[in-house]
Amino acid sequence: MARILIVGYGNPLRSDDGLGWRAAEELSQRLSLPEVEVIVRHQLTPELADNLKSADAVFFIDAAHAGQPGELTCEPVISQPLTSQPQTIHSHQCSPAGVLALAQQLYGATPRAFAVTLCGECFDHGAAFSAAVEAGFPKLTALVEKLARQEAVRPRGR
Amino acid sequence: MEERRTIVIDPVTRIEGHSKITLHLDDQGRVEDARFHVTQFRGFEKFCEGRPFYEMPSLMARICGICPVSHLIASAKACDALLAVRIPPTADKLRRIFGLAQVVQSHALSLFHLSSPDLLLGMDADPAKSNLFGVLEQNPALARDGIRLRQFGQQIIERLGGKRIHPAWVVPGGVSEPLSQADRDAILKSVPEALAIAVRTVEWFKSIMERFREEISTFGNFPTLFMGIVKPDVGGLTFYDGKIRIVNASGKIVAEGLDPTRYFDYIGEKVESWSYMKSAYYKPTGFPDGIYRVGPLARMNVVDRCNTPRADQELAEFHELQRTAVLSSFHYHHARLVEILYCVERMEQLLNDSEILDKHVRAIARPNALEGVGAAEAPRGTLFHHYKIDDQGLIRWCNLIIATGQNNLAMNRSVLQVAKHFVRGDRLTTGALNRVEAVIRTYDPCLSCATHAVGQMALHIQLLSPSGEVLDEVARP
Repeated sequence: MARILIVGYGNPLRSDDGLGWRAAEELSQRLSLPEVEVIVRHQLTPELADNLKSADAVFFIDAAHAGQPGELTCEPVISQPLTSQPQTIHSHQCSPAGVLALAQQLYGATPRAFAVTLCGECFDHGAAFSAAVEAGFPKLTALVEKLARQEAVRPRGR
Repeated sequence: MEERRTIVIDPVTRIEGHSKITLHLDDQGRVEDARFHVTQFRGFEKFCEGRPFYEMPSLMARICGICPVSHLIASAKACDALLAVRIPPTADKLRRIFGLAQVVQSHALSLFHLSSPDLLLGMDADPAKSNLFGVLEQNPALARDGIRLRQFGQQIIERLGGKRIHPAWVVPGGVSEPLSQADRDAILKSVPEALAIAVRTVEWFKSIMERFREEISTFGNFPTLFMGIVKPDVGGLTFYDGKIRIVNASGKIVAEGLDPTRYFDYIGEKVESWSYMKSAYYKPTGFPDGIYRVGPLARMNVVDRCNTPRADQELAEFHELQRTAVLSSFHYHHARLVEILYCVERMEQLLNDSEILDKHVRAIARPNALEGVGAAEAPRGTLFHHYKIDDQGLIRWCNLIIATGQNNLAMNRSVLQVAKHFVRGDRLTTGALNRVEAVIRTYDPCLSCATHAVGQMALHIQLLSPSGEVLDEVARP
């Protein structure tokens, strides 16, 4: 069975930015499989490369700023040479592509990676979602659950 | 009219927070003065007034995303004093492990992510390459070690506190949950790898030190006092509790057994109009002669021993660097590595303690005192939290003395020393700029903590003429 990593990130005290946290927490209940690891973070940092090194597939879940509020997207994350994207890694904050590239460069890890986002509407102080994100949230978790289950049945390393 | 010119570096990069540097030139184009300005402000001491005291640990942890655990511990200790309780022995040990894990991850961040580009690629490296990418290309094993070591510290914090950043596990009276056997075993299992990384990194550092002779002699290489908490009687290294010891530049003890909760008797704070960061000084010698340093270098100078085998070997070697106290701030890096070794070894000792899985980890009480002080050694130095409450348990007054503020005078003097040595004329060369930044990085300042402010790392340097004209200016985002 493939190893799946789900990374939900954002700030749970900034309204819709808490999407990644809540999604990760819900998915950890719904996908309680030994091959699935769920992580929540305020932001992506270089240390996540270490978690990626043994994963076959990884899902990054975050709230997007650009787009129509409530719009759901799932896009593959492409690893590029680190030298071509110096802005993707800082000690405190990385992009999904940056973490993926770091995992590849440091450990030779090449998991299939997907960025799953729901466009947010409100990023002010608060712990509640906007109506658009609240409405789109079940679709996002259902999508990640479905994709993770599909990935999990693949043989390791494929 | 005599001309006076200035260089400004704004913002300062690869440090925790926002700052700028101004270098003032005389009419001969020589640096005559330097100032390290902290340009961010937050005001935690003020807006916590009126909050219930038991909220303070969680609230204060928000001061910093790098060392929240240190604030959590100092704050909880101040609250223990308000409750007037002695916390259960197991809670005491668990808090110590928590603090040690914090030191490992913070020191790893400082050394591997922020300073290793300077150390590995050299002080004259192109700033565009002097970053984590440069380290990855030049020495991927070092980069892997940095990531693993920081991960080690963060995972322990997460296992104990429930999350890596802003965990709320440390509470007034102890900790909220005992340690499970599964978590204890998992942490112990990761110790050998962390220890191996710490050992080979300190060896690597010692192997490259010779390349930095000029920096060692000019990076904050001047006499000051050094202050830190030591274990009473034995003079041992500790991050959790003990008595304050102060040594002078000769390495002689000038004050011993000072009560950290009476910090106001011997530490003064001065506000400067050009910075949001207060400057601390040792009261008996006054301002600015009471300049002192805290943090890894100071701790290595004030302690007699670490009381763990490998760290003690390295401490002995560290003390060989200079017959007096070790004065150069460049050696903060070296001291940080000795401390990482100590933290890993000490955590292993504590995790193997027969009481460590005990379920009694919290003392419950109502406030029994209206004033409390908590002190601990944070990664960057001694940290004090001081609260006063009313009869309802609401905070009426709060004072925080942060490590970076205590190093403020020394950082300013270090920038001046480096600038005088490396800056020539009215233009900033890459090598000079890199070194001005690098000397600040040796202190690993956390400006978010020191001003209790929020912000990202950045550096801005300005070179000003005697009349205030900006001759040169460099900004690094």
